Amino acid sequence: MTDVVPKVDTVKLTIDGIEVEAPKGALVIRAAEQIGISIPRFCDHPLLAPAGACRQCLVDVEGQRKPVASCTQPVAEGMVVRTQMTSEVAKKAQEGIMEFLLINHPLDCPVCDKGGECPLQNQAMSNGQSESRFVEHKREYPKPLPISTQVLLDRERCVLCQRCTRFSDEIAGDKFIDLMERSSNEQIGVFRGNPESPEDDAPFNSYYSGNTIQICPVGALTSAQYRFRARPFDLVSTPNACEHCAAGCDQRADHRRGKVMRRLAGDDAAVNEEWNCDKGRFAFQYTQATDRLTKPLVRDRKTGELREASWPEALTVAAAGLAAAKDNGGVGVLTGGRLTVEDAFAYSKFARVALGTNDIDFRARPLSGEETEFLGSSVAGRVDVTYADIERAGAVVFVGLEPEEECPIIFLRARKTYLKRGLASYAVAPFVSRGFEKLGATVILTTPGAEAEVLGESEQLREALSADGAILFVGERLASVEGGLSTAARIAEETGAKLAWVPRRAGDRGAVEAGALPTLLPGGRPVYDPAARSEVAAAWQLDAGVLPSASGRDTDAIIAAAKAGQLGALLVGGVDPADLADPQAAEQALDAVGFVVSLELRLSVVAKRADVVLPIAPAVEKTGSYVNWEGRVRPFGTVLKTAAMSDARVLDALGRELGLELGVGDVAAARTQLAALAELPLPGTAEAGTALRGSVRVAVPTVAAGAAAAPTSGQAVLASWHHLLDNGSLQDGDGHLAGTARTPVARISKSTAADLGVADGDAVTVGTGRGAITLPALVTDMVDGVVWVPTNSPGSTLRRTLGVAEGALVEISTGGTKS
Amino acid sequence: MAFSEVTRERARQIIARYPEGRSRSALLPLLHLVQSEQGYVSPEGIAFCAEVLDITKAQVGAVATFYTMYKRKPTGDYLVSVCTNTMCGVLGGDKAFEALRDYLGVDHDETSSDGKITLEHAECLAACDYAPVMTVNYEFFDQITEDSALTLVKQLQNGERPQPTRGTRLCTLKEMAVQLAGFADDRGDDVIADGPAGEPTLAGNRLAERFGIAVPGFDPETPITKKAEEAPKPTETLPKAASDGKPAGDGPLPQKKEEAKP
Repeated sequence: MTDVVPKVDTVKLTIDGIEVEAPKGALVIRAAEQIGISIPRFCDHPLLAPAGACRQCLVDVEGQRKPVASCTQPVAEGMVVRTQMTSEVAKKAQEGIMEFLLINHPLDCPVCDKGGECPLQNQAMSNGQSESRFVEHKREYPKPLPISTQVLLDRERCVLCQRCTRFSDEIAGDKFIDLMERSSNEQIGVFRGNPESPEDDAPFNSYYSGNTIQICPVGALTSAQYRFRARPFDLVSTPNACEHCAAGCDQRADHRRGKVMRRLAGDDAAVNEEWNCDKGRFAFQYTQATDRLTKPLVRDRKTGELREASWPEALTVAAAGLAAAKDNGGVGVLTGGRLTVEDAFAYSKFARVALGTNDIDFRARPLSGEETEFLGSSVAGRVDVTYADIERAGAVVFVGLEPEEECPIIFLRARKTYLKRGLASYAVAPFVSRGFEKLGATVILTTPGAEAEVLGESEQLREALSADGAILFVGERLASVEGGLSTAARIAEETGAKLAWVPRRAGDRGAVEAGALPTLLPGGRPVYDPAARSEVAAAWQLDAGVLPSASGRDTDAIIAAAKAGQLGALLVGGVDPADLADPQAAEQALDAVGFVVSLELRLSVVAKRADVVLPIAPAVEKTGSYVNWEGRVRPFGTVLKTAAMSDARVLDALGRELGLELGVGDVAAARTQLAALAELPLPGTAEAGTALRGSVRVAVPTVAAGAAAAPTSGQAVLASWHHLLDNGSLQDGDGHLAGTARTPVARISKSTAADLGVADGDAVTVGTGRGAITLPALVTDMVDGVVWVPTNSPGSTLRRTLGVAEGALVEISTGGTKS
Repeated sequence: MAFSEVTRERARQIIARYPEGRSRSALLPLLHLVQSEQGYVSPEGIAFCAEVLDITKAQVGAVATFYTMYKRKPTGDYLVSVCTNTMCGVLGGDKAFEALRDYLGVDHDETSSDGKITLEHAECLAACDYAPVMTVNYEFFDQITEDSALTLVKQLQNGERPQPTRGTRLCTLKEMAVQLAGFADDRGDDVIADGPAGEPTLAGNRLAERFGIAVPGFDPETPITKKAEEAPKPTETLPKAASDGKPAGDGPLPQKKEEAKP
């Protein structure tokens, strides 16, 4: 699709004697940038509305009595502007403002985190005076003032540009910070109640709070994580892609002496613009966890304990075990959703070629056979929805997806469009979440399990989806709703709406493309199709019949088979059993199966049960690519050069041990191989692959819409999703970040609360035969007979404790009556 | 502390005065309303305003800390404000303030130990012609002296309600806050000095007349016109600055909600 460039009305003006043609309505400061003239500024930010707060950008405009703030002044035909480059008036005005700003700004640059990359420092040097006339004592404040556990404020450094408050208001929608007090006491602050009860304060707990630190033009906002840890000029910056969710944010990792010190949002207008979420920014210390594996482990035959082993020994033992299991029940491969597309491809090829099985699945969460079909029919190889499409959409509908919690950049784009032109959002959800509220979404309150029925029958949704460019977003959670994905595909087809599947993890979409699924080969080729198999066999130079033709088992079936003793071995990537629908069954399967090879970063639950543990590199220590929900390739290079090896390289070595040359050990080679099979613009693979063209596509599933479970007295239907900040293992090691997470609560409707006799804050216990969790109640406007709890937050480890997924019936009671 | 049903009902009335989607504008009267019940803007009061307007506590706090008429500590029944700006200050306001400070044993923005009087020095009260002035719960006492100020405060402490020089009879600060929140005042029948300009206001004019001082070329008979009637001045026209007239932080459109689908 070619983008039509809309015709823009322009005006001509003169800046510093140079004639400029700028779009009508553009700001003078932007027009000056066009011709390379940089006017100093603090409050101005291209992605925020003009404010004119700092006055640093004053310029001389012919015909005006006084200098004009170029960051709020639109261009006009024939306007004659003189900046500090050619006008003494502008130069003097800017120097005067700079002098005002520096009156109370401390000269603590040598100890300030911002020193070395500070717009104030830089512009004071370039546009200020070298001597200050101010001899009095500067204002002092107690410092730092934590406005959340992560964001610290040094008020004396603040120049009141309001970039942070404007960001929180205009972009994130979290107006938790504002200008407090007045006149010379004016300062950024959060609500503080009684000093004796700080728990009543309303801290800056926004999922996007870290962006304010990045856009602060002085050192007033710093992060607890990075404060005093490094100087900018000692850091090495490497571009990087975020490994957390499927948004695919561009990032920058700043590192020093083999450690990442901080991460910043990268600038990618097509994806994350200049923002990221706090998880992406702050959650990276898991790679330095004390249980990080650096050497292979092998289970000692005598002691039965894991012991360190050399790579050759570990690979030999692993290969022998897998080879034996291959002929004795087979090997199941569970890869998890955190892999790069190259690593996922390596697993996919290893399973088919080395293990001769299609028993491979990347899904580490509740899933369904319907979803397996849907991934083949409506996800693999499809790149028809992008972030930019959100800005053009007539309406967006979210089903099984809470965008702020599960894909924060989709949320930001939708909110931007909502504020700009009132984008109509609709959601099928149990209650109006904060994210939906900030999108002004029309929420059709729905009991989990009934989403498919609502989506299929709602005239309102049908009308919304018929709007020009409408997008239907379905989250991975819809897999656990019978008929959910079938209905979504059908409705999208009928209304002409675009359909986007949004998984939660960075590696999920890539795993679909790479064929880490029981029914799909790379490039979305169906396993059952002989032509597809022969394409893959030809690409891999395999003899006919080597590729297994029978569809494999999915994660649940692999676990069930292993538990029943039908499988010879399991090869497990980064999978946490606690994420699966039934963690207990997964652990029993790991215990029951004869041989387990675990490729792991840390000594996890799986690694502890493995016979061979092969350590692999975290994202920062390898090169690779993620494929985000759009299907966009997000390549990244190695940030830290260590001896750690990627999953693909380990699998390549394992293959060699089995006498096979998989050729996936090198990233470039893996990319070439994958690009030959899937339409992915991977770096260094200019020739497009044969991809799906002319190939068969899996049929769209046609499962009838199921109904929600019907709770009896004392029961409720379980609703849940993950909080963005929770117990996720990639968030380990950062208490400052964890302190800004949302408080876990059990949400119930007014009438459900009345039935239980509880009010806000009273303990509510949600239980199953396996266990129970107790959380404070929060009475919410939602469907009766439903209880919502976070999936994996402190005190609410749903899968682990209850062993159920969303939509299940649970027992509900007042706190403490059930243990 | 929960607010009374009367206050909640008044809050509803205040919000109803503003166009839909613009309820945030009701914040100023709501803060007065909160003061009418608690005597100051307490953390609970801020939470109350945030709740009824569906904005954050930080947004309420920002407004509440900006204006001096919103008190952040419990106040007495009477807010005694002595003007200490230039004109009143040199004419005796400073001395009057010091006298009250010494007598009450409290400084600016503090409340006497009997809980009756909150003292503050005020910025210009716009009554320089009657300088030095002070106000009690925003009612004027003109041309005060140290002694008259002290006497006045002692009367207040004794439970008397002296008559202000202008305006109407005194009420308590909480009662005044109800009026400031925009609820009718039942004291309107005995307003004092509600007429043409008083002698001190015209003193300068009389002097000018006596000595024949006049602004050259000024016609005192020039009719006062409304701004709209004036011909627009042909000044240099620039496009309107992008930030003008648009408060930073205009909230999103109101939430639509659908009925539950079982």
